[in-house]
Amino acid sequence: MAQTQLTFAVPKGRILDEALPVMARAGVVPEDAFHDKANRSLTFATGRADMRLIRVRAFDVATFVAHGAAQVGIVGSDVIEEFDYADLYAPVDLDIGHCRLSLAEPKDGAASIDGASHVRVATKYPGLTRRHFEAQGIQAECVKLNGAMEIAPSLGMCGRIVDLVSSGQTLKDNGLVEVAKIMDITARLIVNRAALKTDPRVAALVEAFRADAAAKAA
Amino acid sequence: MTEPDDLLPEGLEDRLPREAAVLTRAMREALRVLDSHGYDRVRPPLVEFERSLAGRMEGVRAQRMFRFVDPHSLRTLALRSDITPQIGRIAATSMAAAPRPLRLAYAGDTAVIRSDQLDPSRQRLQLGGELIGSDGAAAAGEIALVAIEALEAAGANNILIDLTLPDLVDTLAAKALPLAPDQIDAVRRELDTKDAGGLKAVGGEAYLPLLYAAGPFGEAIEKLAAIDAGGALASRIEGLRAIAARIGNRARITLDPSERHGFEYQSWFGFTLYAEGIRGALGRGGTYTISGSGEVATGFTLYCDRLVDAVGADERARTVYLPLGHDYAVAARLRAEGWRTVAALTGEEDAAALGCTHRLDQGKPVTL
Repeated sequence: MAQTQLTFAVPKGRILDEALPVMARAGVVPEDAFHDKANRSLTFATGRADMRLIRVRAFDVATFVAHGAAQVGIVGSDVIEEFDYADLYAPVDLDIGHCRLSLAEPKDGAASIDGASHVRVATKYPGLTRRHFEAQGIQAECVKLNGAMEIAPSLGMCGRIVDLVSSGQTLKDNGLVEVAKIMDITARLIVNRAALKTDPRVAALVEAFRADAAAKAA
Repeated sequence: MTEPDDLLPEGLEDRLPREAAVLTRAMREALRVLDSHGYDRVRPPLVEFERSLAGRMEGVRAQRMFRFVDPHSLRTLALRSDITPQIGRIAATSMAAAPRPLRLAYAGDTAVIRSDQLDPSRQRLQLGGELIGSDGAAAAGEIALVAIEALEAAGANNILIDLTLPDLVDTLAAKALPLAPDQIDAVRRELDTKDAGGLKAVGGEAYLPLLYAAGPFGEAIEKLAAIDAGGALASRIEGLRAIAARIGNRARITLDPSERHGFEYQSWFGFTLYAEGIRGALGRGGTYTISGSGEVATGFTLYCDRLVDAVGADERARTVYLPLGHDYAVAARLRAEGWRTVAALTGEEDAAALGCTHRLDQGKPVTL
């Protein structure tokens, strides 16, 4: 097949700093402009002539790769589970970006708003949250927020929140306590299903990341 | 300006002349291939009783169908979301007595009530063939080859066929690599996303080698043979080799034994078709059992809509403008020779603007 350009999607923010050394070991090194804070470009060249990098929001990494607009990407398992896209493979656990997705409620409990079989939860992860509560036979009504959900309970918007937790400091500062862990999260290499099957370069990349992960684990 | 009422609902679209021409040609050529291999076309209806559509195949979910109550029978009707169950119904009822193996072909539109962000279309054109009465390697090889040939005829290039073993986990979990019943779903799910870490976490460590037995057929089948636990897969591996030999160099062949996506009702063998320049699968097929009659079958379905963007329109046929008072016999002869004709109504038309390449002048087409 004709050598088309490979597109590698990486998320802005939390995971990126940890991901860059892993990517470098697998032979993916972005051009210098990538590290230039003033640069507003979203597409960057890499050390490989047939590969470019795009930097997008974490949730969009999964969407770009599932669509096949990007063939490969790095994203947290929280995002993979939230979308549950059938066209994504997550073949390598990169063992970086560790945190957890947890349910938190006000120190004094959430009873004032929530009934026994019905809860209202503010979250960035309505899919995961609904499934978590469904498994316990509880109907969850999710309020989708894009950030700062820690303040929602104190403002009476919801009884609880579901959000990423690493140290727990943000919860504490906002008068919340972690009541249940929904899942542990690490960053994963994700690839598009069709691209893995049809483009040997994608399979080779997966091998490179897999070998690196195995070497690290050993 | 388009009034809001003139807009189409999400996921539905008009196919205008260029796209319609591509689809018409693709369908005609693919159906010709099926016919030439002895597959007889049948035309099941658009609407059926919900229970008969949902009951013939595992994994066909009634929730995905447009459903409504039949004012005559007061039973629930559904718009078909897949044609294969209809072929299964025909094979189990009106053609139950027909000699086997029974080869049937079909083409038609299907609808789903809700689509997803990745594939927003709610109306999908399906075209395929079913070989009823056999699910052995010979039938699977024939279906794979006919599917490739039909897809080629429809205009796809550089086809790749990815083979899989849809019931692999069930087969292995029974004895060779035992799993507790409550583990099976979790192991399947992790294999589906090829998540090595997740697979270990749910206790499916023994299944890890399956993740690595994927890739170009020659290498992958050796890896699969090497990990074949206790010979549980021997007959399947032999079948895969026979199918691959039958396909030969008609397409690139890959193997991914744990692939299960899109194979809700297939049994031991399944395949997915890809082609150059087209994102996502162009077709699927495999072996299955028709519920109700319990008869085995092998078949494939092509998703023709995906060809539209990748396949170029035919070179526009030569079109000749027929001025007022032209010789009707000459025009008829030109059409018989393959020309398209556009007849003048007023004689003042702009022939070129109407898509004509020639003009009839003194009994002969002259380039415009």
